[in-house]
Amino acid sequence: MAELRYAFYTGCSAKGVAPELYNSTKLVAEKLGMELIELEAATCCGAGAVQEKDEFLALTINARNLALAEELGLDLLTICNTCTVMLRETKFKLDNDPELKNAVNEVLKEAGLEYKGNSEVTHFLWELIDGVGLEKIKEMVVRPLKEFKIAPFYGCHIIRPPYLIGYEDPDNPKSIEMLIEVLGGSPTDHEAKLACCGFHSFWSAEDKVTLKLTAMDAESAKKEKADFMVTPCPLCHTQLDAMQPEAEERIGTQIGMPILHLPQMIGLAIGFKPDELGLNKHIVSTAEIVQKVA
Amino acid sequence: MEKFKLRIFRYDPTKDTDPYYKTYELPVEKGMTVLAALFKAKEEQDPSISFRYNCRAAICGSCAVRINGHATLACKVQVTHILQKYETDTITVDPIGNVRPLKDLIYDMDWLIDKLKRIKPWFIPKEPPPSDGTEYRQDPYDHHRIDFASDCILCASCMSDCNALKANKDYHGPMVLSKAYRFAADSRDGAKEERLNAVLDNLNLEWCVRCWECTTRCPKEVQPFENIIRLRIMAAEEGYKTPGEIHAEIFEKDILNRGILNEMLLPMKQEGIFGALKRAPFGIRMMVKGKVNFADFFGGHKIKRLEEVQKIYEKAKEKEVKIKLPQIMGVVYEDKRKTRKRANFTETGGNK
Repeated sequence: MAELRYAFYTGCSAKGVAPELYNSTKLVAEKLGMELIELEAATCCGAGAVQEKDEFLALTINARNLALAEELGLDLLTICNTCTVMLRETKFKLDNDPELKNAVNEVLKEAGLEYKGNSEVTHFLWELIDGVGLEKIKEMVVRPLKEFKIAPFYGCHIIRPPYLIGYEDPDNPKSIEMLIEVLGGSPTDHEAKLACCGFHSFWSAEDKVTLKLTAMDAESAKKEKADFMVTPCPLCHTQLDAMQPEAEERIGTQIGMPILHLPQMIGLAIGFKPDELGLNKHIVSTAEIVQKVA
Repeated sequence: MEKFKLRIFRYDPTKDTDPYYKTYELPVEKGMTVLAALFKAKEEQDPSISFRYNCRAAICGSCAVRINGHATLACKVQVTHILQKYETDTITVDPIGNVRPLKDLIYDMDWLIDKLKRIKPWFIPKEPPPSDGTEYRQDPYDHHRIDFASDCILCASCMSDCNALKANKDYHGPMVLSKAYRFAADSRDGAKEERLNAVLDNLNLEWCVRCWECTTRCPKEVQPFENIIRLRIMAAEEGYKTPGEIHAEIFEKDILNRGILNEMLLPMKQEGIFGALKRAPFGIRMMVKGKVNFADFFGGHKIKRLEEVQKIYEKAKEKEVKIKLPQIMGVVYEDKRKTRKRANFTETGGNK
């Protein structure tokens, strides 16, 4: 088997508000034969916020994050869509502009670092498919999710913009559906599959935009009678799960759509207990799912 | 000959109570664009089909529609490509999204024009042209900053698929904000403040959800999303204290002082102690479920090698660097690990 070692970039969410993502990623990765070497010196990616105040600083900070993976000689693996796009944006800009790369490296030199550009930025979802492989995952399934209708929620930054992401067609992605199918589940083709959760305008347009989108997304999965939604992004998860009560209040309708992190869904099918995967840490009750898999 | 189905959104408010779809069967012809297919259906099967078009060469922006759910110019994409892309025998054509349909694929443009008027989408000179009869001059970097934004043909594909606009029709939308950037960032323009005030009215500029749909849809590589961000950078430089600006400051300080974000203290820093109080139900919910680390309330976790970040921060702040805009036309993001199998990856963009 190919060597599946990665420089593991956790991002802030998995260390802050979504510890169940961090834990379930580690459990699932280990069982699937992936070795994750955590970048304990990595910083926040800036999440687009720092980028809109001081772009050069944001690029330099992220060049440092990439340099940390280069030190290990490994590709950098993320578990957050926004981290993915921010790090890939940095790489795109530095790799296509030698002057900018020099300017960044002059700064990094102060800290004894250099950005070379030889580590790729990849996401856990992509490595499940390209690294571990669907056949292997299928072999590992001990508890097929056959009675579940599952609504994939990609989250913007794992498909768009194609000039930075380019993993699959942003208009017709298939990766999450492919995973759901090898786990024995049935993916739904709901309207909000490629939509936005609203997270990034929360502090400026909570009522005007964010919560409306959140509600539309969760309702769209409910309309297709999905048992739960699954997302590869902790920001989408926070928005759709932790903020679902606010979204319900905003539109005056009960939704109650459980939202699972991608590794939690894999974990259920390959034999982990719901509590080990942190399903008890969700805001929207996952009791029905837990009952079914028991 | 191979056939495909052209499924068209039909609606005539003088006759129909509700819109409906009508399907036409057509032969698959090599090189046929979706616009050409619409013509063929109209000429040979149903003269009542209505749609807008003009140049047929992706220059005028008249024929923007949604094809299988995503906005683009009907004249820019080929039938065979769409059939392959969606692995289907049916092409569904809808009017662009977020607008009021008038008849079939024709929509009400007044709403978009009214939005554009708010930002005065024309050049307002800072000073009269040079007296020696020469033209206004601009240095190459100043021109570069507005180069891509100037390519907008107002086709409104970006407005169609905008997530923020889907939630709230009062949002200016990417086409309007990108156009505002094109003039506000022009070194010869004298109405920067007026334009920034217009886009920040009701904090409109910050309703953008960063979904990057607009840039993905744009058939002219205008990069509307990137222009929105550049407009926000301009607003920050001009000293506007918006929630977005406060948010950016919190992130910057957290990176400097601990490396990663302190999500526990974020609401308080963002909205002050009283603002944070209204978030109490949310905070309590998160604590009860064990989703947040209580230690973060008192500073909490720091990354390793934080001193590197502090050195970098100081040095980066001293530097003035002219960052070039990304050249995205025809870019395929190339992964160096060629051995990797790419899942169903057939193309680079939504509109190619």
